[in-house]
Amino acid sequence: MTLDPRYLEYPSRGARLDHGRFAHRRPPPRAAWHGLGLWIVVPVQHFPMDMPRGPVAIPGGMERPYPSYWDYTQRDYGNRVGIYRIMRALDERGLRATAAVSGCIPGRYPALVADIAAREWEVMAAGWDMGQALHSARPEAEERGLILRTRNALAAAFGTAPHGWHSPGHSQSAVTPDLLAEAGFTWCADWINDDLPFAMTTRAGPLMNLPMAWELSDRRCLFEQQQTTAQFCCQIADAAARLRDEDGRVLTLMLTPWVMGQAHRYRAMCGLLDALMELRPALLTGEMLAA
Amino acid sequence: MALHSSAGAPEGPLLAEPGHYDYAPYRGRPRIAWPGGARIAVWVVPNIEHYELDPPINPRRGGWPRPTPDVLAYSWRDYGNRAGFDRMADVMARHGVRGSVSLNVAVCDMFPDIIARCCELGWELFSHGVYNTRYMYGMDEAQQRALIADVRNTIFRASGQRLDGWLSPALSNDETTQHILAEEGILYTLDMLHDDQPMPVRTRSGRPLISIPYSLETNDVPNFVLRNATADEWAELVLAQFEQLRAEGGTVLCLPIHPYIIGAPHRIGALDRVLAHIAAQPDVWLATGREIARHFIDHHLAEFDAWIAAGTPA
Repeated sequence: MTLDPRYLEYPSRGARLDHGRFAHRRPPPRAAWHGLGLWIVVPVQHFPMDMPRGPVAIPGGMERPYPSYWDYTQRDYGNRVGIYRIMRALDERGLRATAAVSGCIPGRYPALVADIAAREWEVMAAGWDMGQALHSARPEAEERGLILRTRNALAAAFGTAPHGWHSPGHSQSAVTPDLLAEAGFTWCADWINDDLPFAMTTRAGPLMNLPMAWELSDRRCLFEQQQTTAQFCCQIADAAARLRDEDGRVLTLMLTPWVMGQAHRYRAMCGLLDALMELRPALLTGEMLAA
Repeated sequence: MALHSSAGAPEGPLLAEPGHYDYAPYRGRPRIAWPGGARIAVWVVPNIEHYELDPPINPRRGGWPRPTPDVLAYSWRDYGNRAGFDRMADVMARHGVRGSVSLNVAVCDMFPDIIARCCELGWELFSHGVYNTRYMYGMDEAQQRALIADVRNTIFRASGQRLDGWLSPALSNDETTQHILAEEGILYTLDMLHDDQPMPVRTRSGRPLISIPYSLETNDVPNFVLRNATADEWAELVLAQFEQLRAEGGTVLCLPIHPYIIGAPHRIGALDRVLAHIAAQPDVWLATGREIARHFIDHHLAEFDAWIAAGTPA
C-alpha cells in the first residue's frame, strides 16, 4: 500500500509555529515581582446532568449512564458546600482568589454570587456551563452568542463585565480567541504551554493567554489520576519551590470546590496554603498577569 | 476514530511476528564488557518533538481526540519546547549526562535555538521522523526512503552529524521498515522492546543492523500519563531498574524523557535526583546511542551472532 503523497508534504515546516496565534519564543520572566508569583483560581462551574458527551469529553463531565445523580450531585456539592470551605481557608489567610464562573451561575445561585462579590474576588468567565464546550463543530455565530450571553450574565450579576475567560475543558474552536477579543475580553487561560502569560494575535487585536493549571490542577491529580491529597500537595510544593528559584514565574493554584473543597482535604488545603505563604509569594490576579 | 485502528492495514496476510530476531534466552549469553569495566551502559533519550495542530490523518491511526484545534493536547506538548527543554537540559548538563535526542526533525526548522543547545552540549541527534503526528503506517518503500533521506539531510544540515539511529515516530513502523533502515545504512533501531541488551536484527539484505534497548518502562510518558505516577514514584522505579540491571551486568538502561512531561516544575527535581545517583556510581558508562551501537558492533556482534547460530548453548 501507499499513502497519499501529501502525507509527506509539510506546508507549515519552517522557522515558525504551525499556526499564526503566537510566537514560539518563550516570554522572559516577569520583572514585576521577585521569587514566586501565585495565582489562586477557584472554578465555580455548573455541570448539567444532560450535558452532551461529545465531541469534546469535558474533564469532570457526566461519565455514568443518564441520569447520573452520582456525577451531577458530586459536582453540585462543590457550589453548595465545598466552596464555602475554600472561602473560609482563604479568608482566614487574607487571600483572594479569581473565581472562574459559569454564565448560568448567577441565575441559579444568586446567594453564591453575592458571597463571591462580597469578598471582592476577581471574576473571570468560564463559559455558559460545562455542557456548552467551544469547538469547531459548532457554528461561529452560535459560539459568539454563547460568549456574549455569558459575558452579559456575569456583567449584570457582578456589576462589571469580566475581562478574562476560561473555556470549559480548555477547549477552543479555531476562532475562539477572535471572538473573545471581539467581545471585549483581554485575556484567556486555556493554552497550557507556558508558566508565564504570552500574547496571542486575533482579528480584533491582542489577547493574552494566562497559565491555567492543568497537569498540576486538583481536578487532574486528585480526580482523574486518583493521587492522594498528600501526593498532590507535595507536588505543588515542589513546583512552587522550583518556580520561586527561577524568579518571576507563576504558579497557578487551582482549588476546585467539588475536589479540594471536600471535608477530608480541608486540613491539607490549609497546610498547603500556609506552606505556600512561607515562600512569600507575590499574590497575583488575572488582571495583573495580563498587564 | 479510535487511536488504534485496523483500518488501512495492508491487504493479504498479516505478519504474526516481526521476524527480525531469533529466540535468545537470558542465560549463557556472551559477556558484554562495556568500556572502562562498567557493568551498565546508561543512555538518556530526550524525545524532542512537535505535534501538529492540524495534521493529516493516517488511515491506520486517528488524530487528536478533540475536533481541530485540540488546544489542550497541542499546548500540553508545546510546553516542552517553550518551557521544559531548558530545565531538562540544565539538569542533564549539571550531571554531565549527554542526551541522545529522539528528534522530530521539523524542530530543526522551527526551534533552531533548541538544536543549537543540543549541539553545544555534545548530544547525539537521531531520527524520530519529521513530526510526531506523521506516522509510518502505510508508507510504501519509496516513501520510507524519502523520509529517511529528509531526516538524514536535515540532521546533517542542522548539526553536521551522521544519522545513525531510528525510532519510528510514535513507534509507528510498518512491516518493511527495519529492512529499509538496514539498507539505508542506519546503525541501530529502537522499534523493538524485546531485550535489555543490544541484539542483532535480521533483515532481508543481511546488512548489519542492531537493536539497542529503548524503554516504555522507565519512559516518563507511560508513567506519568498512563499510570498516573507521582515524580517520587517515577524516580523510585527508575532507580530500581538501574540497580537491577547494574547487578546483572552487561546491560543497557535507557531513560526516555519528554521535555513537556519531565520538564514540568513539579517533576524536574525527580530527574535531578535520578541523574545525581546514577552519575555518582563508579561502574556506569554514560553513553550515547551511537557509542553503544558502535561498541557492540565492534566488540560483541560477531560472538552474539555465533552464539545464536550455535543454538544459544547455556
